[in-house]
Formats: sequence, C-alpha cells, structure tokens
Amino acid sequence: MPETEIEGLLRRLAPQALGAVVRRYGHFDTAEDATQEALLAAATRWPEDGIPANPRAWLITVASRRLTDLLRSEQARQRRENAVVQRMLPEEWLAPAADRATADSDDTLILLCMCCHPSLSAASQIALTLRAVGGLTTAEVARAFLVPEATMTRRITRAKQAIKASGIPFRMPSAPEWTERLAAVLHVLYLIFNEGYASTSGPELHRAELATEAIRLARMLHGFLPDDAEVAGLLALMLLTDARRAARTGPDGDLVPMAEQDRRLWNADQVAEGVALITEALPRGPTGPYQLQAAIAAVHDEAPNADATDWPQIVALFELLMGMSDNPVVALNHAVAVAMAQGPERGLELLGGLQADERIAQDHRLHGVRAHLLEMAGDREGARASYLEAARGAVNPARRRYLHSRAARLG
Amino acid sequence: MKYMILTYASQQDYDAMAGRPSGDTAWSPQDFAAMGAFMEAFNRELNESGELVETRALAPPVHTRRLQTRAGAPVVTDGPFAETTEVLAGYWIVECESFDRATAIAVRLSACPGPSEVVARAFADVRPIIESRDDLEP
Repeated sequence: MPETEIEGLLRRLAPQALGAVVRRYGHFDTAEDATQEALLAAATRWPEDGIPANPRAWLITVASRRLTDLLRSEQARQRRENAVVQRMLPEEWLAPAADRATADSDDTLILLCMCCHPSLSAASQIALTLRAVGGLTTAEVARAFLVPEATMTRRITRAKQAIKASGIPFRMPSAPEWTERLAAVLHVLYLIFNEGYASTSGPELHRAELATEAIRLARMLHGFLPDDAEVAGLLALMLLTDARRAARTGPDGDLVPMAEQDRRLWNADQVAEGVALITEALPRGPTGPYQLQAAIAAVHDEAPNADATDWPQIVALFELLMGMSDNPVVALNHAVAVAMAQGPERGLELLGGLQADERIAQDHRLHGVRAHLLEMAGDREGARASYLEAARGAVNPARRRYLHSRAARLG
Repeated sequence: MKYMILTYASQQDYDAMAGRPSGDTAWSPQDFAAMGAFMEAFNRELNESGELVETRALAPPVHTRRLQTRAGAPVVTDGPFAETTEVLAGYWIVECESFDRATAIAVRLSACPGPSEVVARAFADVRPIIESRDDLEP
C-alpha cells in the first residue's frame, strides 16, 4: 500500500484508537500523547512491515502500552516530588449516564465534543480538534496556522490541561447539553474551513489543506449523524464554497470576484454533491444558518453565468438568515444581494443604515461593498475613493492588490 | 468493558462494625442497618441498569489463609494480617461503557452512611479487568 494510503488510513483510525484508549483507561491528555506516538510508530513501520491484519487493534494495543509507560514515569516523578495529584470530581460524576446508549462510532463524536469544550478558546478548540480527531501532528497544525511549533505545542498542552481540570467524563453529553455541544463542534469545523479558504495571510498551499481537512471532518460527522439537517448544511456549504477554489485566484494569485470567475473551473462534482445534500436537508428542518448559507451558495453555483444569478432568491435567503442572528456581515451581504436584485441605489441605502453599526462601520469590507455599488451606480470618483479606503484596511495582500487594481481602473 | 470496584477494611474495622469497640467508634445497630439499606439500594440500581456482573463481601481478615511455597512445599499461614492492615473487604464487577462510567458508579459509594471517622478513612479503587491473555502480552 502506498504511503499516502497508509496516511489516510491512520488519519481515519486516529480518533477511533484514541477514543478506545480513553474509554478504557481515562487520562485524555496522556492518552492523546500515547496515541500520537502509536500513529508515528505505525507510519514508520507499516510501509516496511506491511499493514497488520487488524490495524485498529494494533494502534490501540501500542497506544495502551505507551500510556502505561507514560503514566508510570509520570507517577514516579510525582512520588519523587511528593506531589501525588488529587482532583475533585465535579457534580457531573454523580449525574446519571446519558440516556442515549453509546456505540463504538460515538468515540469520535465524544472526542469532538471534548475538543470543542466551552472552557477552551476557539484557537485551542481548533488546534486540539485537528490533532486529536484529525490525527495531524503538532508540526502540521503549526504549519497550517503559520505559528512556530513550540507555540502550538504549548497551545495544545494548555488545552489538554484545561480539559483535564474541567473533570469532564468521557461520555456522550446528556440530552440537554447535546444541542449546544454539537453547535460548538460545527462552529469549530466552520472556523477551520474558513481559516483555509479565506486565508488572511501566508502561502496558499497549507491553507487549502485546512479546507480539505475541514471537509473530511464534516463528512465524517455527517456519516455519524446523517439525519441532522445542520450537519448536512455545513458539509454542503463547505463543498459548494470550496468548489470555486480553482477559479477564485488568477494566474498571479490575485483574487477574482465571483462575477468574473471562469465557471468552467468550478468543481462540478462538488457542486452536485453540495446541491444534493442541501436539497435533501432543507425540507427536513429545522432550518439553521448553515443550511441557509449553503442554499445561498447553491443558488450561485447553479447559475450558468453571473447574469443568470437568481438574486431575488438570494435576498430572500439572506432575510431568513438575518432573522436568525444579528450579524452585520450577513447584513452587508444582504445589501449586496438587494443591490443586484433591485439596483445599486437600494443597496447603498441599506449600507447607510449599517454605517451606524460600530461593529462594522470601520470594516474594510463595508468600504469595498460601497465602492462596488458606487461603481455600479456610475459614481466613478466616489467608487475610487472607497476602493482606496477599503485597501487601507484590508490585511490579505491579494485582497489589497485587487482593491488597488479596481481603483486604478477608475482613475 | 469490565471493571472491578474494590473496598478495603482492617480487622479492627470489621470488629467495630460488629459492635465491638476496638480503638475506634463502634457501629450502632442503626448505623449498620443504614449501611445495609444503602448497599441493597446501590446493588439493586446496578442490577436494574444491567451493569452489575457480580458483587461479594469478604469475611473478616482473621479468616484468611495465606498459601506460599517454602523449600518446595506448600505452607499455610492463618490470619496473616496485623489488626490495622487494610485488606480487600468487598468488590463489585461491573460491565459498562467506560472507565469514567465505572468511576462514576464507584463515586456513589462515597454516600454510604457510617460513623464519621470511618467515612473519613474509607476509600475504594477502580481497576480495569484484563479480558484475555492478549491484553497482557508484550
């Protein structure tokens, strides 16, 4: 078996092996280290020795032995330092078990919920999810986020200590907690995808891998929870957005706006899969923000050319989305859709209202949209000024180049 | 997965439980009855959840026979423990989804009633059970 296939197999088995070890012996933090070492041993030995008959059992056995070694040296050190660790068990331990029976496949779900525990910062949730569930090494996670490996090591270690300190038992969250925890998991996967897709800095290659990894994890989650409409919605949203990746940058790495993209470069398989997912999920309900965003992406992806886009439909979807959450970025996108459906003047009116929202008033995206709408309305001078204003606030170099080129065209 | 929950007591603890004062507070008949009621309820719940494999209490340590081999011959020692040495007093074998679940079961034993000095000293261990020789092979 070629090494890439072994890597794929190991990445799939990583959360299963870790789940089995934590389920049996506890010690999430140390077990996670032990599992990483087992994965590393497999990556070195399997290409030479061949894949064992039961690779999952092999990983669990090696990780369990390594855990025993790590615990022994840890406990010996603590005895030497006369610092035997005692922890108070929170109330949670006295609560009855979740009413949902756990199956083996749930290990990965439990791990996802642990990694996205509310006591962790978003950055820690993301890093830990990629390592413990995604099976990436610390070095790989560090490279993807463009931080030194030592920084990422500290971030992951702190995150694991926080989970240990929270005393959370290894089990499915109880029914009342479940909705909230699943929402946290979806948000983390969404952030991983965005980090890869809308990269704010750095070389494209590693960032694209993050988007691919987010899709892989969302696909896995959808496999566990096929009836959850928001999980399907998130996977669809990722596929429908990522489908445009090849058309999104020009030969020089410059951003190409959707209206000018060569739609033949869009990934037709991903569009088809995303459209099928969202078409099946929407009528099932309840409708959530990921499904609505996926539906918007689907309307774009299904238009044969930019002029054929069904803007009134997009306006309606954005209005549903605005009814669910007070998010100024959604309101900004709504203004764009209204401008496309009803003319730039209506869009500019809505922007005027957003100007009073201090969460977005200084945002370069607001200036960028204003510039586009002014250009559509024929106000070349106003558009040029707004493009330059937007370029001053933008961080992504490709985005800044794009805004400057738009301004120059009007100069 | 199976786990064993183990509780410990010394010969002195057994004596105190039997109402004979021996350096520790003796248990009153009410104390003893309360403990019995607690254990019955605890075992019934475990039985009903399907997690109990079996549970047993052990006779006082004085009734222990220890077998060893000396110069190739079996040797027996009767009651080999000091009065205050804590030894296995009872156990539960539970079959449940995880170590954490087995621990949560054992934590409930901390609510067992008894004289306060006894409660303050009491402890339980939870240990994973080896299911087959494969688990031990290096």
